[in-house]
Amino acid sequence: MKNHQLAWRNLWRNKRRTLITAASVFFAVFFALVMRSFQLGTYEKMYRDVIESYSGYLQLQHTDYIDESNLDNGFVLEHSLSDIIGADPNVTGVIPKLESFALAAAGSRTQGVMVIGMDPDNEQKTLNIKNRLIKYRLTPEATEALIEENLPARTAKLVDVFSGEAWTDEKSLISDLGISDEDSAAVMPLFRKHASLDNRYINSADSGRAIIGYGLSRYLSADVGDTLVIMGQGYHGVSAAGLFVIKGIVSMPNPDIDNAFVYITLDDARWLYAAPGMVTSAIISISDTDDKELLQTQQRLNELCNNGLVIRNWKEMNALLLNQMEADNKSGAIMIGILYLVIAFGVFGTVLMMMAERRREFGMLVSIGMQKRKLAGIVGMEMLFIGLLGVLAGVAASLPIVFYGYARPLRFTGELARMYEEYGFEPVMPMLLPDTYYLWQAVIVLLILLIAITFSVRRIFKLNIINALRA
Amino acid sequence: MKVVEINDVFKTYHDTAVEVKAVNGVTLSFDKGDFAVIVGPSGSGKTTLLNLIGGLDQPTAGEIIVAGHRLSELKPSELIDFRMEHVGFVFQSYNLIPVLTASENVGFIMSLQKWPKEKRMARTGELLEAVGLSERHNSRPSQLSGGQQQRVAVARALAPRPQFILADEPTANLDTKSAETLLDIMEKLNREEEMTFIFSTHDVRVMKRARRVITLEDGKVVSDERTNHNS
Repeated sequence: MKNHQLAWRNLWRNKRRTLITAASVFFAVFFALVMRSFQLGTYEKMYRDVIESYSGYLQLQHTDYIDESNLDNGFVLEHSLSDIIGADPNVTGVIPKLESFALAAAGSRTQGVMVIGMDPDNEQKTLNIKNRLIKYRLTPEATEALIEENLPARTAKLVDVFSGEAWTDEKSLISDLGISDEDSAAVMPLFRKHASLDNRYINSADSGRAIIGYGLSRYLSADVGDTLVIMGQGYHGVSAAGLFVIKGIVSMPNPDIDNAFVYITLDDARWLYAAPGMVTSAIISISDTDDKELLQTQQRLNELCNNGLVIRNWKEMNALLLNQMEADNKSGAIMIGILYLVIAFGVFGTVLMMMAERRREFGMLVSIGMQKRKLAGIVGMEMLFIGLLGVLAGVAASLPIVFYGYARPLRFTGELARMYEEYGFEPVMPMLLPDTYYLWQAVIVLLILLIAITFSVRRIFKLNIINALRA
Repeated sequence: MKVVEINDVFKTYHDTAVEVKAVNGVTLSFDKGDFAVIVGPSGSGKTTLLNLIGGLDQPTAGEIIVAGHRLSELKPSELIDFRMEHVGFVFQSYNLIPVLTASENVGFIMSLQKWPKEKRMARTGELLEAVGLSERHNSRPSQLSGGQQQRVAVARALAPRPQFILADEPTANLDTKSAETLLDIMEKLNREEEMTFIFSTHDVRVMKRARRVITLEDGKVVSDERTNHNS
């Protein structure tokens, strides 16, 4: 009989205990994976949102701009520098940007906003604002009109739940509102009638036109075609004022940005802020965004910069967000640590009981000629089998949830959603697909098992046969 | 031919500042084919002497030579191999491996010794037949009676053809019929395989069958008698 066969049979001599121990490992692994997937998925989404809706992966800035982000720390972007940076193998575009704060007013409401001036034709390489134009939105009027229509009960309920939300594509609207394939032919015309928005993008020749965030449009009660008054301070303290007609409304994933987003052409921004030829930064779009490649690209580009200019990566530009996420990550790790500590005691309890119950048997096995190292190997295998059962079951059970949570992120509504938005987060919790964090859970469980195995092996090697046979 | 030689052996335990001489200067030897019992009151040192002969314990003084091996010269791991090769153990409470069937239990030591499968199977079948359990070869210990379990334990001890069998109170947990059956089998194996059996016992049924009775008192041999019992 092979060692592993004996170990496997031993495992089932006390089925209940084996199952309880394996179940404790299973629950720890399952909850740790699901929790971690939510946590890491949320972080990744936040990072992606900030990168894609605002900072980009790399920016060319004045050295002082990171500490004092104002027009006075702007610069003139020379074509020669832009061309040299653009020639880097990982760089796909250099997009100049002029941004500053201002007050925006429409009707009787005013809001502090972030005015971003960029070239609309090149912008798509970074922030991709064109694809964020809203196609459907559930205004109070649209919600009321749709509920009065003959919608399927589930869709009607969800229309009420999602009132106030906006969608940039039909697919996510259908998914969120639970519209089935059979119903879509009848239901979608109703949405097109009541909830669609005639939304247009600007081009570089669109002087005096603006795109604004959906959050800002709701606050100002400003719609497409309305005029936005922008007032602020321009370059070197001159006053900045202008009128812009809203041409489109976009949904930016980060609520802080969505609530204050005004996008105009670069030429309009230079005119508004009286900063001809200037930029506050240039977003550098790259093809390989992997951390290592990103840093290497940054290093290469920094060697090309002079005159007080520097290349900053998204982590440097969003240090506050990263610190917040790191603190949250630590608290999550502590929670998981406590979870595993409880499990470790459970596993250790099983080992103690098993060692005590089988002491005489161990004594008999050694007395009839089984070497202690062989016995220790069999007992170690038993522990390993229990751990593997728990880990494999935990991983298997978590996978469908993780894949589902990735495909259909958890979306909060009502008070919880508002709370999230107040903290500057989109009320969505996506999950992260299996990655190295899956491997880490297995490593942690194996470490716990290793401690338990070490303990049992030590006890076996210290076994006194005479005392064990009397047990 | 001498299988076991015990020369002036002492075993002293120190329990809570009291010195207990469990074996106190024993000199004995056992020949091949002996069917010997060690008797004596509780605490006389029977089990301790058996443990010393089996290499489960080391004497405080004196020398034990088994099949040419001086046990005191063997390292712990060598002692384990020595037991596997030369000693068969039969315990009072059977001590079978609960997750193995009767035939797997019998073949267990042979598998530790890496016997070829065919040879192992043949020997297992032969021994199960000898102990009258051929039909229960696939039963787990929990499915066997006490007497049947002890017969499997005897078959296991005999399987690798050791130099001798040490049996510590083998009939203590058995009813009369089971004990008689077991002793019949042991006598038969002793006769047919010329296997040496050394028992420690209180059981009169065992003493009646023995051809040599060694009496211990306070760790000393007080008598060593050959009897006329013919097997």
